[in-house]
Amino acid sequence: MVDITLRVNGATRTGSPEARKTLADFLRDDLNLTGTHVGCEHGVCGACTVIVDGRAVRSCLMLAVQAAGSEVMTVEGLAPDGEHGGHGGHEGLGPLQQAMWDSHSFQCGFCTPGFVMQATAFLSAHPDADEQQIREALSGNICRCTGYQSIIDGVLLAVQRNRQDATANAEAGRS
Amino acid sequence: MTAIAAERYTGASIKRSEDPRILTGTGRYVDDIKLPGMLHAAFVRSPMAHALVLSVDVSAARALPGVIAVLTGAELEEMTVPGPDALMALMGWAGPTPEFTLLATDKVRLVGDPVAVVIAENRYLAEDGCELVEVEYDDLPPVVDAAFALDPGSPPLFDNLGDNIARTHSRHEHGDVAGTFADADRVVDFHIDVHRHQNVPMEGRGCVASYDADSGVMTMHAATQSVHVTRIAVAMRLGMEQDKVRVLAGDIGGSFGLKIGASREELAVAAASRQVGRPVKWVEDRGENLTASGQAREESFDVRAAVSHDGDLLGLDLKMVIDTGSYPGMGAMVPDIMEAMLPGPYKLAAMGFESTAVTTNKACYVAYRGPWASETFVRERALNLIAKDLGLDQVEIRLRNVAPRSDPPTMMITGRPLVGVTARESLERVAELVDIPAFRRRQAQARAEGRYLGIGVATFIEAAPGPRSPEGPSGPMGLESMRLRLTEDGIVALFTGQMPHGQSHQTTLAQIAADEFGVPFEQVRVVVGDSAVVPFGLTGGSRSATMTGGVALHGARQLKAKVLDFAADLMEVSAQDLLITDGNVWVRGDPASAISVTEVARRAAAVIGPSGDGDGAAELEVEATYDGGEGGWSGGTHCAIVDVDAETGIVKVERYVAVEDCGALINPAVVEGQIRGGVAQGIGAVLLERSAYGEDGTFQSATFMDYLMPTACDIPRIEIEHLETVPLDADVNFRGVGEGGMIVAPPTVVNAIEDALSPFGVRIHEQHLPPARILELIAEADPGQ
Repeated sequence: MVDITLRVNGATRTGSPEARKTLADFLRDDLNLTGTHVGCEHGVCGACTVIVDGRAVRSCLMLAVQAAGSEVMTVEGLAPDGEHGGHGGHEGLGPLQQAMWDSHSFQCGFCTPGFVMQATAFLSAHPDADEQQIREALSGNICRCTGYQSIIDGVLLAVQRNRQDATANAEAGRS
Repeated sequence: MTAIAAERYTGASIKRSEDPRILTGTGRYVDDIKLPGMLHAAFVRSPMAHALVLSVDVSAARALPGVIAVLTGAELEEMTVPGPDALMALMGWAGPTPEFTLLATDKVRLVGDPVAVVIAENRYLAEDGCELVEVEYDDLPPVVDAAFALDPGSPPLFDNLGDNIARTHSRHEHGDVAGTFADADRVVDFHIDVHRHQNVPMEGRGCVASYDADSGVMTMHAATQSVHVTRIAVAMRLGMEQDKVRVLAGDIGGSFGLKIGASREELAVAAASRQVGRPVKWVEDRGENLTASGQAREESFDVRAAVSHDGDLLGLDLKMVIDTGSYPGMGAMVPDIMEAMLPGPYKLAAMGFESTAVTTNKACYVAYRGPWASETFVRERALNLIAKDLGLDQVEIRLRNVAPRSDPPTMMITGRPLVGVTARESLERVAELVDIPAFRRRQAQARAEGRYLGIGVATFIEAAPGPRSPEGPSGPMGLESMRLRLTEDGIVALFTGQMPHGQSHQTTLAQIAADEFGVPFEQVRVVVGDSAVVPFGLTGGSRSATMTGGVALHGARQLKAKVLDFAADLMEVSAQDLLITDGNVWVRGDPASAISVTEVARRAAAVIGPSGDGDGAAELEVEATYDGGEGGWSGGTHCAIVDVDAETGIVKVERYVAVEDCGALINPAVVEGQIRGGVAQGIGAVLLERSAYGEDGTFQSATFMDYLMPTACDIPRIEIEHLETVPLDADVNFRGVGEGGMIVAPPTVVNAIEDALSPFGVRIHEQHLPPARILELIAEADPGQ
């Protein structure tokens, strides 16, 4: 067992995982954050994607002890209670999640947290991404249900709304 | 004044009620279940494809701290009741029944065959325990391909069968086969292979079994397409009374046919929980899923076709061998469906079909989205091969052969009426949408530049549910049941045996019931996933649009009548004068009379009283069934345009168009999601996916580095157009679309690839076309063809 301290979704958390325990299992078993899903345990499917220190990582390929001292964000940390995604949105959904809901992005939902986190990390660096860039950025995440189009459309809608909001804010600033 | 809502939910892309939980990580999948004292299971699996088990030594594993129990196959036999596979029994399988044990005891029959289960404090320790189990094997010759399985000298996997024939050869003829072939202008023959590939839901199989010794009740948290099939399987195998097994299911991470009922591993986990007296969880990892959960397809066909010089397809005669893998599953039953469906929407004069199912040392055959799909592959491939020989266009040969829509409808040569089939309309519409002459000009130009574009079309019908049989006592898919209740809180609750795993039933059924009953969408609750409260049912076979949509509609109508009877007494009017709209009951012509459905529900609850022994008329609940009504077919035509790089063999799907007719759409976004998802699986099957075995039976695609799944860069935008041509029923014209994409996309894409490679003279007789195979086909081809 190794004692670790890390920040998860903005809160300081401590734990004593075995050295061999993956970050995914630590989040799910020790911290009860079961939104992070384990789909292949060999780093290909992306279902377990979380954001560590600003970067999307496969939490099945990272050991919990490697995350000591890091800032980890999981799907549970995306939209704090009371926040809503704008555009007449649903409480508890951030803007990307709201756009994905509006776009019927997902079906069974198992891959969903991984896509949401991968897209979140990508959009924070590429807020104006186009369709091809989004496809490439999400090509490391596997969805078996949708054929991807609805997921891509959800991310594109989030990009478009973000741009509209930015324009509206800029105009409000000028007036 | 009450607002009278005119809007209908049915037909609109209502946002899914499943999504807020799924998008926030608060869905509850089986691996999210944690029970007090819960243990974890891992299986010791065979590294050999075919071997005798000489000994299993579990002593070192049992001694490992944290390991609670290790159960061998032999020990599990003492804890369980031998018997046939529950699913096979439910489906009425009457063929040869192989004898085998829950876990392997004397023999292993595939790489990954479980021989023992280790129960430990956590999964890591359980896997450590597996490492310490020593199994001594004695090799047997592996039976890896169908040809060897057909050899009477091959070592039988199941000693009681004496050979490797899972279902003996059968031949059926429809129409005058000999005469049709004798009189035909031409008889062409060829061989077609369909490769082994598999479901691969993103969540594998899994369960948490929790046995309570005091009450004798087994609670199974399962990932299943039917809580009741799982319940029956557990009760049968564990020798328990049916009502002492309760199966619960929450969110399920996909299935595509894999999770019907309980697998051998899940039954072993249930037995282990009863043995150790604590809850036990097992969730398979991806290696187990790819290796041992089950696989599909792998059929080979000798095809003969009788055709006229003008391109009339007069007769088909198929000989199929299907490789059903090791343990019995649906594989032996699929040939009957293939035979029935092979004519598709075409007016064949005669058809012969013969099949043999063999047993091999590979993963068990499981249902995978359109399990009979290879009939469409063979037929649609054959049409293109024939068209090429005759110099006909691929749309032209199909238009020439599809049955006209007529009254009475044309009968398929295998016996079912092609009622309401719009194959012709879908072909014509696809040809318009893609503008084939314009494509041919672009293709010629590209070829001049050394680029190889191709176009492919394919047409299918899907029995979702299929037509009412003229002589049948009930509809095409038996009965679907639903219990509907107006709760005392005014919620219209639908209790269904459907077990959604991505199909959006909690949204679509609520849309239908909300419209029929007259309440807002949010006032309908769809209850699934508890065998103690839902009627029997199964999600599969594209049945739910018609069958469950239909029972929701008729059930809501019945419940509404009951509610109106009660409200009529309450309001001292005749029930005939009452309406329900937008959640309010009101007297026709007098909106001011409105009282809310919720208020009616409260009044009814007050009449019944807390003990429930009040006036039965106030019991606002109905048990409804639906037989499918007039049923009908789904179907359509798909078209792919591909760009094949003749240097690298890489195929890019440039454009994909689907014209489909599934009758009335309940929720267009849900329908289109089903179509696109199926098409993506079909594209994956052709370009990427293969469950590969070595000559010694080792499994060669046990990771996602070897079993290649399509990604966002492999699947194009899929354009969809809906035909809603033929209403057959007064109320229920929703038809299923779950399987069609996966059924028709493989021939669509292969037809396009062959078209692209026609300058090389390539003829394609197989389904799996990764880049290396494309290059081989080009190298082997005779450009003179």
